[in-house]
Amino acid sequence: MLKLLARRVVAQWQLLAAVLAVVTIGTTLLGICALLVTRTPQRAVEAALSRAGPHDVDVTAYAATVRGPDVRSVAADTRQVLTSALAPFDATTTARASTVVRSLPSGGDVPVETYLSSVEGLPDHARLTAGRWPRSTVDTAHPATPLEAVVLEPTARLLGLAPGSVVHLGPELYGNPGAPLDVTIVGIVNPLPGTGWDRDPLAASGYDLAYRDGRSMQPVHAYGPFLVDFADLLAGGCTIDRFEVTAHPDLSAPSARDLDAVSRAVLGADRRLAPALDGSVDNENVVSRLPSTVRNAREQQQVAAATVLTIAALVGVLGAAALALAVRLTASVRTGETALLSALGVSRTQFAVSTAVEAGVIAALAAVCAVPASSALYAGLTRLPLMARAGLAVRPGLTGTQVLFVAGGAIALAALLAVLALRPAPVVHDRWHPGTLARSGADLLLVAFAAAGWWQLRAQPSDPSYRGDTVRVLAPVLLLVAGATVVLRLVPPALRGADRLARRGRGLVIPLAAFEAARRPRAVAAGLLICLACAAATFGVAFHATWLRSQRDQADLAVGTDLALSLATPPVAGQGAVVGTATGGIVSPAVDRGIAVGQWLGGVGDPPRLVAIDTGRAGALLRGRIDDGRAWAQVGAALTPPDRVTGLAVPMEAPLSLTGTATGATVLAVTPRLVLQDATGLRTSCTGEPVPLDGRAHPLEQCATATGLRLVAVSLAFSVDPAGTGNSRVAVALTVPAADADGDGAASASPWTATSAEPAAEALADPAVTVTNAGGSTRLEMTTTVQLDAAPDAARNLIATAFPAPGPVPIAVSTRFADAAGVHRGSRLSLTVGTTPVPVSVADVVPTVPSAVGAAAVLADLDTLSRALILSGALEIPTDAYWVGDPRTGATARATALRVGTVTTRAGEAARRSGDPLHAALPAALWLLVAAAAVLLIAGVVLHVSCDMQLRAVEVARLRGLGMSRRQIRTTLLLQHAGIMVPMLAAGAAVGALATRLAGPLLVRSDTGAAPVPVPLASWPWLSEAALLAVLLAACTLAVAAVVTVEARRADAAHLRVAS
Amino acid sequence: MTATAAPGPLLRVRGVHRRFGAGPSAVHALRDISFDVAAGTMVALVGRSGSGKTSLLNVIGGLDRPDAGTVLIDGSEVTALDDDGLSRLRREKVAYVFQTFGLIPVLSAAENVGAPLRLARVPRAEREARVELLLALVGLADHAQQRPGELSGGQQQRVAIARALAASPRLLIADEPTGQLDAETGLSVMALLRAVVESEGVTALVSTHDAVMIGLADRVLRIHDGHIDEVASPC
Repeated sequence: MLKLLARRVVAQWQLLAAVLAVVTIGTTLLGICALLVTRTPQRAVEAALSRAGPHDVDVTAYAATVRGPDVRSVAADTRQVLTSALAPFDATTTARASTVVRSLPSGGDVPVETYLSSVEGLPDHARLTAGRWPRSTVDTAHPATPLEAVVLEPTARLLGLAPGSVVHLGPELYGNPGAPLDVTIVGIVNPLPGTGWDRDPLAASGYDLAYRDGRSMQPVHAYGPFLVDFADLLAGGCTIDRFEVTAHPDLSAPSARDLDAVSRAVLGADRRLAPALDGSVDNENVVSRLPSTVRNAREQQQVAAATVLTIAALVGVLGAAALALAVRLTASVRTGETALLSALGVSRTQFAVSTAVEAGVIAALAAVCAVPASSALYAGLTRLPLMARAGLAVRPGLTGTQVLFVAGGAIALAALLAVLALRPAPVVHDRWHPGTLARSGADLLLVAFAAAGWWQLRAQPSDPSYRGDTVRVLAPVLLLVAGATVVLRLVPPALRGADRLARRGRGLVIPLAAFEAARRPRAVAAGLLICLACAAATFGVAFHATWLRSQRDQADLAVGTDLALSLATPPVAGQGAVVGTATGGIVSPAVDRGIAVGQWLGGVGDPPRLVAIDTGRAGALLRGRIDDGRAWAQVGAALTPPDRVTGLAVPMEAPLSLTGTATGATVLAVTPRLVLQDATGLRTSCTGEPVPLDGRAHPLEQCATATGLRLVAVSLAFSVDPAGTGNSRVAVALTVPAADADGDGAASASPWTATSAEPAAEALADPAVTVTNAGGSTRLEMTTTVQLDAAPDAARNLIATAFPAPGPVPIAVSTRFADAAGVHRGSRLSLTVGTTPVPVSVADVVPTVPSAVGAAAVLADLDTLSRALILSGALEIPTDAYWVGDPRTGATARATALRVGTVTTRAGEAARRSGDPLHAALPAALWLLVAAAAVLLIAGVVLHVSCDMQLRAVEVARLRGLGMSRRQIRTTLLLQHAGIMVPMLAAGAAVGALATRLAGPLLVRSDTGAAPVPVPLASWPWLSEAALLAVLLAACTLAVAAVVTVEARRADAAHLRVAS
Repeated sequence: MTATAAPGPLLRVRGVHRRFGAGPSAVHALRDISFDVAAGTMVALVGRSGSGKTSLLNVIGGLDRPDAGTVLIDGSEVTALDDDGLSRLRREKVAYVFQTFGLIPVLSAAENVGAPLRLARVPRAEREARVELLLALVGLADHAQQRPGELSGGQQQRVAIARALAASPRLLIADEPTGQLDAETGLSVMALLRAVVESEGVTALVSTHDAVMIGLADRVLRIHDGHIDEVASPC
């Protein structure tokens, strides 16, 4: 029997080679899928972490109140704890520290304080504008040598310091006083944005004339820091108020296992730090985003992996369909041989053994070929541009899972081969009968399962905790398979229609093709594979387009605008116009921060969000599809104030002066704060020195530091002698010089109003403001009656504005906000912005607010919001970013070069969501699906046509005998196969389109695994699909033509001799 | 029995050689075959299995090309025709009847008979009328819509004969037409062939083992080891 088997193999080597090819292709694809599902996610997490920014991976230890003698040991111990937590990764550390405050000599009643500070690697954090960097004096032979320090420019300006100045610092003001210090100024610096100066006690502003040091309610004047060499700070014996060490791990070549280990170690670093510091500090903790960065990367991978698994399942089903076709065709070719052997007495057991041996050999050969082939092809796939750019390129290698998948797949396919080969030969009906699937009703059962699966998919939870399940993986597969099997029911009636038409024809070539296609029982044998493969390929292309579109939509809403410049430090006057010039787009300052809504603070890490921009230009600024079909311009129109604020033009470097008078004997002074607005609507405040109301003109702090500024509000904070009684009528005039010869200093279009700010509005009576032009300048005269009897620390704050009170600020709220707060259109509530309550009214409810996707968020007009804040006395208008619409080419680079913050673009975010390491595997898997479908489709067609031609060789020879030329025979055969192939391809495309429409959007999830916002829309790229179908049709037609030509040429008299 | 013969031979075979394979294992199926067949006659070609009967018929019918020699049918040199010429020859002048019937399985009896008429692009009405006539001629008018798989061997062979006659050929080549039939059925088929030769004026060249067939022929040619001998006319 085995000898017979061997001879049969030799005689039928072409047929068996075709079967072996199909099994090998199938198992190779399984191996690639196994690697995509196992090795790629690991590599993706590693690549993502290697690209993570310092903000996402650095580990920082904080310590509060370190006693002087312990500073060195605390620094060393802290570094040791952090670097050991990050092992095996190398890590560098940087430290910064600032001392408790010390007194500075002052000539006035207000105390003056300062502090020392130091940053390791100071030249990387600041820019030297004069002098030199401080040198360490620790090892000098003269311990009494004064410390060297550099100061920030504002500090130097206000204290009148220059390189060479010596400053005497008093003792520490709390804790262990210690000795006074002398510090020599050796240089002046400016802080570099984005280098951690937000952790400086004065946020690198250099001064704060209303600083509260926590010792009393009375504000003091604070200046600093005095930046010294780090070694000096460690050795100087000063009490450190704030100490931090940041470890920067080198994650350039991480392994997933090490990342997990480091995550765990970092989470436990807090517990190891306290005993290491052994009571040397009052407070310590370790903070790092590294564990959450690793966790988020893994979670994103899980989200992508579920969809990749779906694609792998599809590839597996295609392979099985191709193999089933190959086996059926092999059995049909061997029908006569099988019947002969059976007649000669070969038992069923012998058949089973021989079939099993043959199948086993095929499986073994396929597995041996498929393992290296899948490794090589997988490595090639990872070197495609998308994957390589994402850092996912790998060298060919083997994994246990891959070998298991390949071996298991080969065994399964071989078992299928054996089982199908052992089935009794199907009865070849002379007349058409429905196929097995249709006869058994299995296709309708599949449709029922597919419908159930789709329903489950539709009902999947929208929250991020949902991680998918078997239904999510199988539902799309069921949809495609069910669609393809149902199509098989529809094709025969269509072919019978063609048969009826053909009967009326005159010729033989085309009618014979129609007859053969409609009547031959095995004519549609490859129909399921053709339809399913085409459906899978078109689904792959369309789902890719759907997924890409959703990533772009999500990016649009996540960023909220075309280009967002998130500020690292508070803005300076006129900065908006600079950003506008750099980007060339429509610029609006923006607020984007958490707020409180009454008592509601939201969940942990999920506070309500406030987004405020110039809503008058919402159409040009806001991006992101609103699911209900509206445009942002419509939403913004309901929030925009009816009038624009004009204010008073303030020329650049214009000398402003304040003159004030007060009746009565009580001495009054006023601290002015001016709110200036630039062309983009950015409002910044400028605080002057206290001015006595003595009737003399006092020049103000230089506020107009840019061109195009306009004065829109003035706040006068009155300071009163506590012993005063009664009232004092005051008049304060702010003089603004005219702009230039154009006389742009004319009175503003909108009238000015004056009000007394809460909470002690009654402390000022009859506030009034008038604007007059005189002698080439504009005078803003503010009058009020100051109640001297009010509480001594009551705020007496007169606010004059170039706009009236706006009333409740109209806002649009997100659906989640509306549900959580129980509000609707017309509702009124109060938002707390910073520490200022702002009354608002709900003008609209939108599905989501740009840049606050899925959050409980509100959208407001920044102008209206800032008006409300100013009138409440909060003149520090929050500005977190600039949003730019329609920026010019190159805007990103120019905005980055401004070094004021981080630039994010929606195009960049879309590119990240579709091409970064955590996302690139999905498009690659889809390309694999399309390629696999095309290869299996063409292989199946070739196999089917070859077997058909073999079985009909004699018939073809007899057609020659009938008088048909070779060309006519080729045409008939080609038309017969094309008559089935073309409709099946078209039907497959229709099934793919339907599956895309039904399941495509449901398969897309956000990075967190939640339902994406906005809702994904099915996309059908006509051009790509037309090209794909054209390629498939052309390839199949060429393949059929080649086989038909070869076989028709072979059908000659030799077949007639054999037949006779 | 002698059919009325048309003047001049319809078929002329001169010096035909055909060899299959090469070297020592080559098979000389036909060696210097020469003979004539008069029009309107029925010639039986007899010989053992493997003697070259089918090879000779294939060469005559243009399904195969000889290594040497010429074949003329009704003045056309078959051996000089290209593929299209041979196809036209088989459409217009030569018809085949195969041992295994050679019917197209998916076509009904009527459609099989009509196939040559479709090749000749005969109008539908005319085609259907001729098919009906031919099926009646072979006694299968009631089986017109049945497929070959639904007919008996004898019925299938009759359909094959009807199909062969559809395009009114000059020469009918039948390769062991009764080889797969029982004696009684074979006899009826042979009688049909004889009747067709006489009524349609077709020239028939029939390879056979059948003694009855031989008895019905006007001439008998024996082929042996690739050579052909004339056997005395049975009549």
